[in-house]
Amino acid sequence: MAKSILGIFQYEEDFLNAAKSLKASGFNDITLMSPIRLEEAEEIVGLYKSNVRYFSLTGAITGAITGFSLAVVCALVFILPTGGRAIIAFPPFLVITYEVTILFGVLATLLGFHFVSGLPAWRDKAYKVDTNIDRFSIAVDPGSDTDSTKIEQTLRDAGAEEVKQLEVAA
Amino acid sequence: MTDTNYQEPGYADVNRDILQTLLVTGPKYWITFGISASVALICFFGPWAYQLYVGVGAAGMNRSAMWGTYLSNFIFWIGLSHSGTLLSAVLHITHSGWRKAIYRSAEAMTLFSLMTAACFVMVHVGRLWFVHWTAPIPNPMELWPNFRSPLMFDVMAVTTYLTASSIFIYMGSVPDYAAVRDASTGLRRRLYTIFSFGWRGTAKEWHTLSWAYMFFAVFVIPLAVSVHSIVSWDFALSIVPGLHQTIFAPYFVCGAIYSGTAGIVSVMFLLRKYMQLERYIREIHLDNLGKLLIVLSLIWTYINIVEVFTGWYSGTSFEYEFLKFRLFGFYAPLYWEMILFCAVVPLFMLHKKIRTSWKWMFIISILINIGMFTERFIIVATSLPRKFLPDAFGFYFPSFVEIMISIGSFAIFTTLFLIFIKWTPCVSIYEVKETLKPLRRDA
Amino acid sequence: MAKITDKIKEYTRPGYYEKFDYHWTMSIDLDRCTGCGACVVACQAENNLPIVGEKRFKERREMKWLRIERYWEGEYPNLKLKFLPMLCQQCDQAPCETPCPVAATYHNQDGLNTQIYNRCIGTRTCAVYCPYEVRYFNWFTYTWDEPLEQQLNPDVTVREKGVMEKCTFCVQRIRMAKDKAKDDNRRRVKDGEVTPACVQSCASEAMQFGDLNDPNSKVSKMTKNKRAYHVLEELNTKPSVVYLQKVEKHD
Repeated sequence: MAKSILGIFQYEEDFLNAAKSLKASGFNDITLMSPIRLEEAEEIVGLYKSNVRYFSLTGAITGAITGFSLAVVCALVFILPTGGRAIIAFPPFLVITYEVTILFGVLATLLGFHFVSGLPAWRDKAYKVDTNIDRFSIAVDPGSDTDSTKIEQTLRDAGAEEVKQLEVAA
Repeated sequence: MTDTNYQEPGYADVNRDILQTLLVTGPKYWITFGISASVALICFFGPWAYQLYVGVGAAGMNRSAMWGTYLSNFIFWIGLSHSGTLLSAVLHITHSGWRKAIYRSAEAMTLFSLMTAACFVMVHVGRLWFVHWTAPIPNPMELWPNFRSPLMFDVMAVTTYLTASSIFIYMGSVPDYAAVRDASTGLRRRLYTIFSFGWRGTAKEWHTLSWAYMFFAVFVIPLAVSVHSIVSWDFALSIVPGLHQTIFAPYFVCGAIYSGTAGIVSVMFLLRKYMQLERYIREIHLDNLGKLLIVLSLIWTYINIVEVFTGWYSGTSFEYEFLKFRLFGFYAPLYWEMILFCAVVPLFMLHKKIRTSWKWMFIISILINIGMFTERFIIVATSLPRKFLPDAFGFYFPSFVEIMISIGSFAIFTTLFLIFIKWTPCVSIYEVKETLKPLRRDA
Repeated sequence: MAKITDKIKEYTRPGYYEKFDYHWTMSIDLDRCTGCGACVVACQAENNLPIVGEKRFKERREMKWLRIERYWEGEYPNLKLKFLPMLCQQCDQAPCETPCPVAATYHNQDGLNTQIYNRCIGTRTCAVYCPYEVRYFNWFTYTWDEPLEQQLNPDVTVREKGVMEKCTFCVQRIRMAKDKAKDDNRRRVKDGEVTPACVQSCASEAMQFGDLNDPNSKVSKMTKNKRAYHVLEELNTKPSVVYLQKVEKHD
């Protein structure tokens, strides 16, 4: 079991300021939670470009290759000429390639989402229901007791509505 | 806006108001659900079972009119499905704020009309029990599907679309599933814990979701365009007069978005009325959708004129014969009804009073969809009986089984949609919040 | 390596297999056709075509792989009657073959447009794409009342509901002739060895059947006739059935 300190804020600015000052005091392991997406919060924890994009790209390229080879191989396994068309006919096969590109791209993006975000994570975590409604919260993992007092102080100073300690699964 | 006494809801109100659509279920819901489920069972699955037993002859199709209402229903439902994903994705990447309150129900429409469309493929084929041969999986004959076939394009496109749009709608709902989880207890809480993947709303989660969501949107737009183009190629790749037209792909895509957008208006009207969502689904949405509908109706009208013009300009007797049948033959009343509903009636929306009136917009949107339904029927029913050889000129009229199945499909759609609104918040909670006053001291 | 590039070239070229081992062709001399319908009956008997009955016939669901189209020209009393026997044209560039998702219809090495009943799932797309409307669908499973089932041809299958079917140029007879040629150690089937049921029964010998790849066959000579034409030639389907125009007296 590990301890976690949760500070709950009513206003966005307070929440962001608290996060900034925690960062400044050297606490890097902070989790910012908000009911809506806040780009400033992402910048504070240092998130700019997501690695999901590599998944999408790889998926789409794999899909393009798979789609085209699927069509070609299916045509060659059992050669059945139809309508005077070529066995490997590019125009129709490109349509198949197109669709499979998108299919694989979407599936890879889904995989990427799970991989990058670390979800699904059904373990108990520092979380307060209100943060999904109209509150902002910061969860910090304190290393020692001295740190935890300092964290609590920082959170309170920034205008936290409530500060509490939680026991969560490591 | 007209509603001057409109009071913006707070964040907590959003959660409460939208979650009550899920958590509070009145008898009205159960009655509607019961009716639609039983209509689906009696009108769709009953006649279908009969048709499976005796053969496709139970339908009214015959030689030269080998395709009938099953195919036209298929196109109609695929068309309706274009509302959601396409509109939602396009408006997402163009950062149109007004999309946020309506996109969820639009996407749900996509998903369920696609499922209904997929049912029609099953109903259409002669030997349902072998339909898996169209999938690229090994079979005892060691044969693989023919990827040169436009129908195989369809199989691939519809599967991809079904997968992509269900992922799209699901991923967009994950934060809302977390909201449901937090507001519920017992079994529902446990279920939504699984659905929400343990979502907490951390900066990392939001960041990844928004990136992934953007990619889904980017993938889905070309996909949606390709799906209906491909459906149009089922027709356009033939050499049948009236079907063999290069304009068919844009025609179908435009028609699809047109009927889909009209569908959104109808669904919005009903949701707003019966789910107490007046504060979220507002006149501004109606106004914007109305403008979109006008543009689409003008494009649609233009393409229809082009279609008739090219037929006449081609100067071949086949095209003349087919045009004569379509414009002045047995189905001429349906054709002119379609022109009236899809090209003339939408022009009333040019007037702002009508465009922002729920009642009028509901009526117009229903009329547009009736028009679009007949359009699909006319494409099939007036082209095929007038192909090339006069000896084989036929006539098609849907049989009782086909009419029942067509009615039943609406019930299937309604049933699925009703299940959906009790499963997922039909208005996106977190995205509506983004449109509200931010929770700041200076706000 | 060179072999692979050759293969790729071969497979990506349109009109692959345009050189057939045989190119079975039928010629129909419309000047000789009396419209008697013997061919229709012969086809019905040979290929186990079901008799659908009056009701189904009125619904336009009859099964006639070969039908005689009847066209009236002019106004009474200057009325002319023309016959056009219409059967599967076995097109070289068949519009019906490409759309089949399960490859139930394809072009075989005899230049025949085949239909594989076992493989058909009944999307009916081929019939929609066919400009000659010579594909027939089994809307129901048809049965033969006793003792009619006794006259079914054992060389031909009977088809179940949900399956498309069409004229095969009596592929069972072609098969038999090829087997016989093989037994006799001949490389090719001789001209006149194969006669489909309709050709065999034509009283006025309006129909000829043979291999177009053999320049000396009867049918090859027929195709060089000045009157020869294809139905709906402008669609570029390249049919294998050649019609010889009716000779008309012009006043």
